Amino acid sequence: MAARLLLPASRRLLAGFGTGAGAGRVALSTAPRRDKKRWLRAYLEQQRLEAPPQRRSEKPNWDYHAEIQAFSHRLHENFSLNLLKTAFVNSCYIESEEARRRELGLDKETVALNLQDNSKLAEQGMSFSRSFLTQCFEGAYPDLPAKGIGALVDFLTSQELVCYVAQNLSVQDLTLCKDFPVPPDVLQRTFFAVIGALLDSSGPEKTGIFVRDFFIPQLIGKDLFEIWEVVNPMGLLVEELTKRNISSPEPRITRQLGVSTVLPLYFVGLYCDKKIIAEGPGETLLAAEEEAARVALRKLYGYTENRRPWDYSKPKQGLAAEKAISSN
Amino acid sequence: MTGRGSPSRFLTAVLHNGVGRYVRQLQRLQLLFSPTAADARGARQFVEEAALDFARRHPDVVLYVSPRAGPAPLLLAEYLNGTVREELIASMTSEEILQLATKLAGQSGLDIIRIRKPFHTDNPSVQGQWHPLTNKPSALTVRGPRLQPQ
Repeated sequence: MAARLLLPASRRLLAGFGTGAGAGRVALSTAPRRDKKRWLRAYLEQQRLEAPPQRRSEKPNWDYHAEIQAFSHRLHENFSLNLLKTAFVNSCYIESEEARRRELGLDKETVALNLQDNSKLAEQGMSFSRSFLTQCFEGAYPDLPAKGIGALVDFLTSQELVCYVAQNLSVQDLTLCKDFPVPPDVLQRTFFAVIGALLDSSGPEKTGIFVRDFFIPQLIGKDLFEIWEVVNPMGLLVEELTKRNISSPEPRITRQLGVSTVLPLYFVGLYCDKKIIAEGPGETLLAAEEEAARVALRKLYGYTENRRPWDYSKPKQGLAAEKAISSN
Repeated sequence: MTGRGSPSRFLTAVLHNGVGRYVRQLQRLQLLFSPTAADARGARQFVEEAALDFARRHPDVVLYVSPRAGPAPLLLAEYLNGTVREELIASMTSEEILQLATKLAGQSGLDIIRIRKPFHTDNPSVQGQWHPLTNKPSALTVRGPRLQPQ
């Protein structure tokens, strides 16, 4: 302890001892420090974390052509590469790029990019996937009314879901767009444009399989009434039953538990001609009746939880796809 | 490590991969190595011998080979869901690097943490969740006349 306290004092003494002997020491202190810069790694890591997010195309190692080719191989499809490249070009990109060129002071001929944007392909892809999905659901759930099928198709082609699928296929890295990160509406349009490009390069049958493979698995684990909002299921049930010439349902309490407590449980059964068609639980009588009506509707429409899983095997004939094309 | 302390997840696949069709989740692989360093010898050998074959066998992965003067040779794997994994390949042989690259190509990019069970389902019960009235008779069931206790 005492030696440490003495050390600075002795150094000062040494420094002031004489200029001849101290010259080497002074030169040493101005030389770079040889100890480890422990702050450096932490500082660099902090800089890396704080840096604003960059497009993948602005980072090192980016070959657009190779990426596009790999994208086509990844999806096991034979895209025509020119069409696929067109599908990734958005109109906002062309505008911003031309504006940038104009700012750089290029003359008018060189400013024009001569690129086609993807609006036509996107429209094609959108209408094809909607009509194909409608055909698919009409085939698979013949009892489901048009409103329900519409709700399912709307859900599958909604901006949120299409963006989710596109992001997990890394479409946003390839998309040419003005803004970063890519806004959801642009991403949705780009993904539909990819479908449109596939439709033009491989035909409706393969595109149908593509749409089926990437959209329909998203229905796994989803309930019909999560997707299709029905406000008054009992009214819909009565309507459906009158269509089928069945007398209107009669709700009865089948079981109940803890009625006088804060957590009661009721089971309401719906009877048609003294035969039970559905039974549903609920915390109140009204909720239980509604739930029972929903159970009955699911049974009527053939969209129960224990329905047969979707058939993803290769279809023998592209009937649905042909129909989708003809109805376009 | 106790089961509760370590991070864990359920068995999942990105985008229900494989239900419709299988999509390889590795999108690009960058091989960063120094052209002169001794510990990058295996990486250089990999570029000479195996890289072309690897790229041919995986047309869905973009392989970038970039010789640069860096601190250590790296294999940078980028997945479709945005995960980036760095693997150090210092003083590895060409075969070891090939094995590592093939392993990376087969992975999904989800976190490599303990998986709670080797199976997963969204609907854990086929016959429905148990509730206090399971297997109990309905209140409306007509019961037959009972014998009066004598």
